[in-house]
Amino acid sequence: MIKFHPSLEQLSEFAEGSLSSVEAIMVSAHCDMCERCQQVVASETERLAEDVLDSFDARQSSEFERMLSSITQLPPSDKSDRPSRTTGSCEKFTIELDGRQFVLPRTLRRFVDKTGNWSSLVGRLWQAPVDLGFPGVANFIYMERGGSVPEHTHRGTEYTLVLDGEFRDGINAYDTGDFIYMDGDHTHAPKSEATKGCLVFSVVDQPLHFTSGLARLLNPFSHMFFR
Amino acid sequence: MLVGIPLEQSNSAIKPKECATEMSEYIVTVAEKRCKKSFARVFGYFAPRLRSYALKQMGNEALAMELVQDTMSNVWQKAHLFNAEKGSPSTWIFTIARNIRFDMLRKLQNRKEDVCSDDLWPVLCEQTPDANETSLDEQITLEQIGFLFEALPVKQKAVIEAIYIDGKSQQEVADELSIPLGTVKSRTRLALQRLKGMLNSHDQVSS
Repeated sequence: MIKFHPSLEQLSEFAEGSLSSVEAIMVSAHCDMCERCQQVVASETERLAEDVLDSFDARQSSEFERMLSSITQLPPSDKSDRPSRTTGSCEKFTIELDGRQFVLPRTLRRFVDKTGNWSSLVGRLWQAPVDLGFPGVANFIYMERGGSVPEHTHRGTEYTLVLDGEFRDGINAYDTGDFIYMDGDHTHAPKSEATKGCLVFSVVDQPLHFTSGLARLLNPFSHMFFR
Repeated sequence: MLVGIPLEQSNSAIKPKECATEMSEYIVTVAEKRCKKSFARVFGYFAPRLRSYALKQMGNEALAMELVQDTMSNVWQKAHLFNAEKGSPSTWIFTIARNIRFDMLRKLQNRKEDVCSDDLWPVLCEQTPDANETSLDEQITLEQIGFLFEALPVKQKAVIEAIYIDGKSQQEVADELSIPLGTVKSRTRLALQRLKGMLNSHDQVSS
């Protein structure tokens, strides 16, 4: 069951198109998995449309007439004129780890070809870097059963979307589809007890800051793990 | 070129919601008949509103007009993608404009690799991946039905063929075969029940 959703404000700004690229991707991918948020976005979009298109200024009619006449000379779009990127035939839907295929939410499929190789980290943890193409550091992270990330806080912000499985972090228990936002106010230690482990997609804008025990020794190197 | 296409703004005080049905009909007419007059109605209503939105968003008259032109060009060229059951014309047109604005802003900042609006909101995709998956399912089902159809008793097959393939009414079929309308109805019902039963058992075998 999905318990953690983007805020209403984030959903509304997503509908408006005013979120940053990182936030937009994360909210959109969450919506792919969450019917409730899809509905919120749909009704927000409807409200915004009604609101935004309510007012206008009546000038400019000669320029509009020229525009109208040039548009109506355009041919109708042919169904075949669209590049195949969105038609799904050659698009990859899944990423693979150790022979297991994980089906990605629609929004994240654009990153399949931009995902690097899996590498093993501390504590039964696997990570595959993703080249976003815009500011932000993204990874697919897979926690094997019993896998854990040492307790850490965040210097910037961290968005995590649970793609498959469950994990706990000492604060909450998260399930597939959950949307998790963390910043400098949060300290947590993710750990998965799910039999099949847990795959998440995570974006941070600053390296993590480890807070406890020996893991503090990792701090000078944390940019090497989560970059 | 504009002869005969009056740019109407008489309905300007009307809220988008109040003219949704009327605008839907115009867009459908554009899709079906490439009707310039219907498009002029939609354009006359939405273009000035889009300009007002675009001006606030882009802060520049030239860019604002480019946004209006791109949006309305899409409405003209892709009217067939409008689906009144999914939302009102104002919602559809707003989402097109929002997507174009989103991509324009990233293009202006020269961020070519950045996320594009299609990734987030597939408003103008001919087929979203999900729709594609469904249509594949439907294809299989159609194939299966074609196969099962052959297995129907001859009399039922004739009725189903006339109604579902030739598109005739039940009365026409009754007249043509010189049988009572009630018989046509019962044969149709029986045939559909049979197909449904065969599909169910087919599913059970294959799964």
